[in-house]
Amino acid sequence: MELKPKLTRRNFMKLAAMMGATAFLTTYKSEIVKAVSEVKDYWHINWLNGAACTGCTISFAQASEPDLVQILTEITVGTSGLPIALPDYMETIHPASGSLAERLKDERWAQGTPGRRVLIVEGAVQEEGYCTIAGKDFRDHLKEAGEVADAVIAVGQCATYGGIPAAKPNPTGAMGVSEFFKEVGINKPVINIPLCPVHPDHLVLTIAAVMIGATPDLDEYGRPKAFFGKNMHDEICPYRPYYDRGIFTRRPGEEGCRYVMGCKGPITKTDCALRKWNMHISYCVETNMCIGCSEPGWPDKFSPFYKPVASLPAVLGVDFGTLGQGLLGAAAAGIVIHGVKRAVTSGKKEEKEE
Amino acid sequence: MAEVVMDPITRIEGHLGARMETKDITTSTGTWTIVDKAYSLTNLFRGWEIILKGRDPRDAFFITQRICGVCPAPHGETAIQALDHAYGVTPPPAAVLMRNILHGAYYVYDHMIHTYLLIGPELGVLAKYPPMVPPALGKKGIKALGLGSSYAACIEMQRKVNRVVALWGGKFPHHTSEYPGGMTVKPTLDRIANTLSAMTELWDFVVNVMVPDLMAIVSKNDHIAETVSSLLDIDFNGLQDLGQTYGNFLSFGLFPDYNDYDKWVRVQDGEEGYRENALIRAGAWDGSPKKFTHKKIREYVKYSRYDDSATGLHPSEGVTKPVKDKPGAYAWMKAPRYDGKVYEVGPLARMINTFGLKWKIDVTNPVNGKSFTFEWNVLNPKGSVIDRVAARVAQTLLFATKTMEWAIELKQFMHDDIVNAKIPDYSYVPDNAEGMGLWDAPRGALLHYTKIRNKKIDNYQCIVPSTWNLGPRDDMDQPGPVEKALEGTWLPKLDVPTIANALYPEKDIDASAFGLGTVSWGDALAVALTPLGLVQLNMEGEYNTTLAITIVRSFDPCIACGVHFMIK
Repeated sequence: MELKPKLTRRNFMKLAAMMGATAFLTTYKSEIVKAVSEVKDYWHINWLNGAACTGCTISFAQASEPDLVQILTEITVGTSGLPIALPDYMETIHPASGSLAERLKDERWAQGTPGRRVLIVEGAVQEEGYCTIAGKDFRDHLKEAGEVADAVIAVGQCATYGGIPAAKPNPTGAMGVSEFFKEVGINKPVINIPLCPVHPDHLVLTIAAVMIGATPDLDEYGRPKAFFGKNMHDEICPYRPYYDRGIFTRRPGEEGCRYVMGCKGPITKTDCALRKWNMHISYCVETNMCIGCSEPGWPDKFSPFYKPVASLPAVLGVDFGTLGQGLLGAAAAGIVIHGVKRAVTSGKKEEKEE
Repeated sequence: MAEVVMDPITRIEGHLGARMETKDITTSTGTWTIVDKAYSLTNLFRGWEIILKGRDPRDAFFITQRICGVCPAPHGETAIQALDHAYGVTPPPAAVLMRNILHGAYYVYDHMIHTYLLIGPELGVLAKYPPMVPPALGKKGIKALGLGSSYAACIEMQRKVNRVVALWGGKFPHHTSEYPGGMTVKPTLDRIANTLSAMTELWDFVVNVMVPDLMAIVSKNDHIAETVSSLLDIDFNGLQDLGQTYGNFLSFGLFPDYNDYDKWVRVQDGEEGYRENALIRAGAWDGSPKKFTHKKIREYVKYSRYDDSATGLHPSEGVTKPVKDKPGAYAWMKAPRYDGKVYEVGPLARMINTFGLKWKIDVTNPVNGKSFTFEWNVLNPKGSVIDRVAARVAQTLLFATKTMEWAIELKQFMHDDIVNAKIPDYSYVPDNAEGMGLWDAPRGALLHYTKIRNKKIDNYQCIVPSTWNLGPRDDMDQPGPVEKALEGTWLPKLDVPTIANALYPEKDIDASAFGLGTVSWGDALAVALTPLGLVQLNMEGEYNTTLAITIVRSFDPCIACGVHFMIK
């Protein structure tokens, strides 16, 4: 009996979304490796770090099924023995340093096979003068790389939407890759894989998708819908039953829904609750709460992190106002996702959110 | 004099370069180029402290972790200790134990990844030790030549140990579970059992792979020393002659005693002390142990891109303005000094301040009863590449064992209320307060200072490990540790395979799997490096910077960590 649906380019991301990427990666591991191996030419990967903390690289090293060693060694080009996707440039793990590293980027990546060059960017893009590599501003490195890249993947909250470097008062004028591309006139789609840091499954699947030509379906913020199509709180939170019964955590260590302590699940789209982290063992809400790192505008729109979101989403069609009154007294009322308006404790005073 | 620049320096965290001025020495065997003066170029500025100002003090736990994705956990811990201090709360024993477990596991990951992924490749090449050279020839290379077997195992093991961090912290990098006065996670049998099972596997890896790998490198040391000495006609003792600094070592201490936490806090209050009831002690070693006090810390900016008015200040008084194009400045890092002197921080500083110059780490795995002893006599009391690596290995063993012991001790607290009564609920923040956290990240001493006014951050400052080690010259023109460590380093005019062949001329490597027959070490490396375009590895012009870059990496640089802006 064949339990696995057939893996094709057309249904690659669709299946990943349908099954959840974790199950997909496990079920289809050998098919992914095989499909990618059938690509007969070396794929060029250029992993650039701007205003980054390297957390996304470290997160990538937590990848399993396939893991980093498999990615670097087992998925080889034909019979060459060469890994299909050993980065031509990746500061944190690359053997080469200095002028050789820069030369490889020019010779191997920039002049690599057209159609097979993937640019991965970690970290935000700042105004000139705050980040230099080999004596050249990061902006110039990124612009050059962006111009020849065939696919661009921005990983983590900083490269996608600016992240903490771009938080108020944004002292270095930091921004995400898409915004930078607009500024310098590079008209290329950027696949945004946010979260802080990037989830290794999201990245591995996206790279695999790009290589076999299965273009991910993106949402309005450039995120693959397969991973960022679900509302954490409404659709997948295991603590949701507590919320529905009005059992809230108010002191560290208590059992209950984390809404009152400031959980940003209600205004966050990600599949963390299904996928979990570090070989699928846990995720933020299991030990504390969601701080909303998959969303544009993070952290400013989501901090103070311990302040509850200003409103409650509707619950199972029940009138949120009544429910909110019932559960939280005068705590909050009104549906506000991504701050249209928010009702504050008085119930009367309203203020605009960004 | 020539100028040799390494930029970017890879296999570290962040954007670092080094500029070296050379001089030539002539011996009976020829004229050789060595480093005369070195300058550590720190090339990224993000402005974290400006961003923290005005926020909820508790946000600092989440935000400062994002200073560095390689060492986020220590920033979180230090931020929380600063808040504990500001709140005036003592975390209960169960919370201290859980923090110790989380961070103990985290350290094991960090020291492993540095040993194998970051500095390991150069050591493996220098010592003709294939398991530590990256698996550049794929599975076939691992099988036929043993290339990268430890490297590959490390990737798997660091992933397993990070599961333990995630169990207690939600995820890694960037965990979520610490809160002023305690933890937001409960001690459960499930978590304890998972921790013990994962750490037992880790313990075996450390004992059976990591320690033997270190000893394999060390066993080649005499050979390296003799070959280089006779080639250059100099007195070169081996890896302990690479990367010596001033012999001053600073540690803030790690892993407090859960039954005696108030003693731990006294150093945060400003007292002089050793934190002697902690697993790793605080101290300022300058040839002999000295008590540590944070009052002796100052930061200097003469060569840093900040306004000169802010130089020589204690962190609680910091006022600095970035000046992008400051004449003469070559660094975004500041130069912190202790008692006006240059101190090295990091694993070696921790070991020396805790155990002196002779270490005997006796450990027993509390799960299966296996015992192991690690002994090390510091080879260079002023610090060296090999001593720094050995310190990491020693701590990996020590922390892996202690993490299990703490997990077992935690069982006795499972039924206690872990919530500290002084924190009524998640809505509480003190109106006005200040606090200091003093901890050690894997790369060294870490300080967070927070000042709260009207329930918001009024001032937040970090003095981080890499500013101590990688910072530039100070106002007294004293080179920083790495700048000092590079002085006198040989820059051979030979590529890596040629050096490897000079060190190991014998043809004894069976490369028949690659159609080559039996070849020498350098030729085998050339086979691995050529298809990747890496034969010219570490060549800057005619100079080979392998030794220099290995010295820099031995400090485990973290540039994102080291660069920020302080504002009062």
